[in-house]
Amino acid sequence: MNLLAWLTTTDHKRIGILYLTTSLFYLLVAGALALGIRTQLARPENTVVDAHTYAQMFTLHGTAMIFLVIAPFALGLANFLIPLQIGAAEMAFPRLNATSYWLFLFGGLVVFGGAASAEGAAATGWTAYAPLSEIAVSTGIGQDLWIVGVFLVSVATILTAINLITTTFVYRAPGMTMWRLPIFTWEMVATSLLIFMAFPALAADLLLLFVDRRFGGHAFDPNGGGSAVLWQHLFWFFGHPEVYVMILPYFGVISEIIPVFSRKPIFGYTGLVLSAFAIAGLSMGVWAHHMFTTGAVNNPFFSFVSFLIAVPTGVKFFNWIGTMWRGSITFPTPMLFSVGFLLNFLFGGVTGVMVASPPIDYHAQDSYFVVAHFHYTLGGGSLFAIFAALFFWWPKMFGSLLDERLGKLCFWLLFVGFNVTFLPMHLAGIDGMPRRVVTYADMGALPLLNLIATLGSYVMAAGVVVFVVNVVLTMRRRIPAGNDPWGANSLEWWTSSPPHEHGFTSLPPIRSERPVFDARHPEVAVRR
Amino acid sequence: MLAADWRLFALVGLAVALLVWALILFAALRWRRRDGDPLPPQFRRHDALEITWTVLPLVLVCGLFVYTYRAEATVESLDATPDLAVAVNGFRWGWSFAYTGGPVITGDANAPPQLVLPVDKLTRITLTSADVNHAFWVPDFLFKRDAIPGQATQFDLRPTKLGTYLGHCAEFCGLDHARMNFSVRVVAPDEYARWLRAQRIGARP
Amino acid sequence: MTTGLRLFISSGAFSIAIAVSYWLVAHEVVGTFLLGFMALALSFVAGYMIVAEREADLVGDRGDAQRADAAGEVVGSFSVHSPLPVWAALALTGIVLGLVVSPVLAGLGLVAALAVGALFIVQSR
Repeated sequence: MNLLAWLTTTDHKRIGILYLTTSLFYLLVAGALALGIRTQLARPENTVVDAHTYAQMFTLHGTAMIFLVIAPFALGLANFLIPLQIGAAEMAFPRLNATSYWLFLFGGLVVFGGAASAEGAAATGWTAYAPLSEIAVSTGIGQDLWIVGVFLVSVATILTAINLITTTFVYRAPGMTMWRLPIFTWEMVATSLLIFMAFPALAADLLLLFVDRRFGGHAFDPNGGGSAVLWQHLFWFFGHPEVYVMILPYFGVISEIIPVFSRKPIFGYTGLVLSAFAIAGLSMGVWAHHMFTTGAVNNPFFSFVSFLIAVPTGVKFFNWIGTMWRGSITFPTPMLFSVGFLLNFLFGGVTGVMVASPPIDYHAQDSYFVVAHFHYTLGGGSLFAIFAALFFWWPKMFGSLLDERLGKLCFWLLFVGFNVTFLPMHLAGIDGMPRRVVTYADMGALPLLNLIATLGSYVMAAGVVVFVVNVVLTMRRRIPAGNDPWGANSLEWWTSSPPHEHGFTSLPPIRSERPVFDARHPEVAVRR
Repeated sequence: MLAADWRLFALVGLAVALLVWALILFAALRWRRRDGDPLPPQFRRHDALEITWTVLPLVLVCGLFVYTYRAEATVESLDATPDLAVAVNGFRWGWSFAYTGGPVITGDANAPPQLVLPVDKLTRITLTSADVNHAFWVPDFLFKRDAIPGQATQFDLRPTKLGTYLGHCAEFCGLDHARMNFSVRVVAPDEYARWLRAQRIGARP
Repeated sequence: MTTGLRLFISSGAFSIAIAVSYWLVAHEVVGTFLLGFMALALSFVAGYMIVAEREADLVGDRGDAQRADAAGEVVGSFSVHSPLPVWAALALTGIVLGLVVSPVLAGLGLVAALAVGALFIVQSR
């Protein structure tokens, strides 16, 4: 396809591929920034980069991973998959869909564009707390470019959420009732609901900060009648649901892959659906657990609701284990990454319950303990699921399977590298290392812990390189995968690889969440 | 109190993690497919089990919450009659410690200030910020509080062990955030009295 | 009642419950406003869906539907290509970027956005 065709496409499959490609590009950039951060922190009092450069690096790393990688990858995957999974020809609003993608691309470029300005990119962290981000302190336009760039990405995200929910509600194929949807589709419905509820708060926060900076406002300036903590309320009202936006789709990915390689249906379908919405609902009521140390919020309320969220998350874990239980399990690369997800995310969930207790958070907040916690959930969780999804759906999207031996090598490098990088950070935090520091004193265990973490990060980088090599080799070799190389369950595996222009030329009967499996195994097909 | 909270949650957390990891790895290894294996039994639900693994964790987290609530109430309580009071002010990039009745100890990234406190006595800290958000963190005390401009916040410290403890700013505040440090020196009450007198004499114009 | 409507009704009810609980427990204005507006938004969607669903009969909701039941159904016209999306995105980017660096750019962006909007309306007729 030529450039003009890509620029004007409204095909959900092409738009999905654009999202995936762009988000993977940003993953490489954010990953390189992470390597830079780890290199600087490898030794105490290191001078690889100065403090201002370092601040831009961790700001862009966090901003990119959250706004330009993890969420857009999921939305791109949903774009590609959901019409296929529900048996629809296209998304409800194809032109709006394309608009979302271009807004996402341009928004990211605007954010990074700040790096080319005189005072550099935004340097206040991905959380851009006021008053640090106000014009009096952060004087460069990098911060303004961050604000408007993130705003564009937010608009893109909200528009995609509207598209996904409408498509799922309205364009399901005959027999595809809501309770026969694949779990991935259900998780995307919950994710879309969260996006509606959360992103407007971010948009409001960004608008207020922009008015403060450029039009003489004082929303967050206590000297002008404003409130510094107001930024935090609005930001975290968005920010906490945002982390669930970044995990629910990947719960969905895992829920698609584990049944296939266990050769059993997903266990506890109803529980998985209800828990997705329980998590979404509860996640709107926990935002100030990011503010426990301010002394300005009702800690017990937020602590209680934060503890509650562990329950539906646990339900999902038991359902995934139940799916594997007494199954007949094989471990191609997607399944390796899925099991890795389970092992890693569990640990992140446990440390999450710990920091939900304010007395623990009084020590852990803004330390490397919390950095370790969220990297276990977002890195050990979402990132591993990203790779699981890539290996699983690559043949459907591009027609050929990724190399299995390189895939396994990639998994082991990432699994070992990830844990070597982030496990020591728990100890570094407990030992008193704050986050967002350009360096630390040569005392106690910190130098050794940081060195180990840095070495782990290089192993992770090797895993990513192996993945890139895999992609290049696969694209060259092009061994056709066929419609259903894995023996999978949901509708996308019925059509060709890659799918026909409008998805399907025929459809199997749809009487459960596994219509393709039912068609292949009519002797065990059940009706939901 | 704080250390006990850490120990309880670490223990419970570790126990849960080990249990679930064991279940995952057991399932993954016990039921590996062997060539020629038929399709396994296609069960999809078990209501009693699903209810149990919803209710039991719910009971567990409620129990953890009750414990947490009590621990937090103790940590956050403000005594009616503190033994002394210090106003701590954070600014880019240093700290000032203003004892009621003097002295005012100020320091910055190049010369970090030291907060001297008497052991086993209750100190009321009133924390403010002169500019952006900062945070007063003494890792050895397992405690921090944010310093937010426009609002003063209070907490009580009762150090129980003699020694010198490092303190860091724990809220990113710009260029020298990593060097915005301080220390807390906990001394016997008579040594504290001598120190205070010497400071006040030295401060007299 | 469709599952989608049940979803919005229960989300709306939950958000009302949590907004009220939050006010009673915390008496904090900002959070109560945020939760309250969320409750309003979800209730609004639920209310609209109740009315909209009176006429609905989706073939996807019929559990016994055969593939042939959807044959001949006109779901709308799907354009496979359109230049409007990338122009709309450029226009919006121009507006926000212009607010930072150049009012002229913002003005151009606004004009482009209006043009794209007009073209969209014309094309949708």
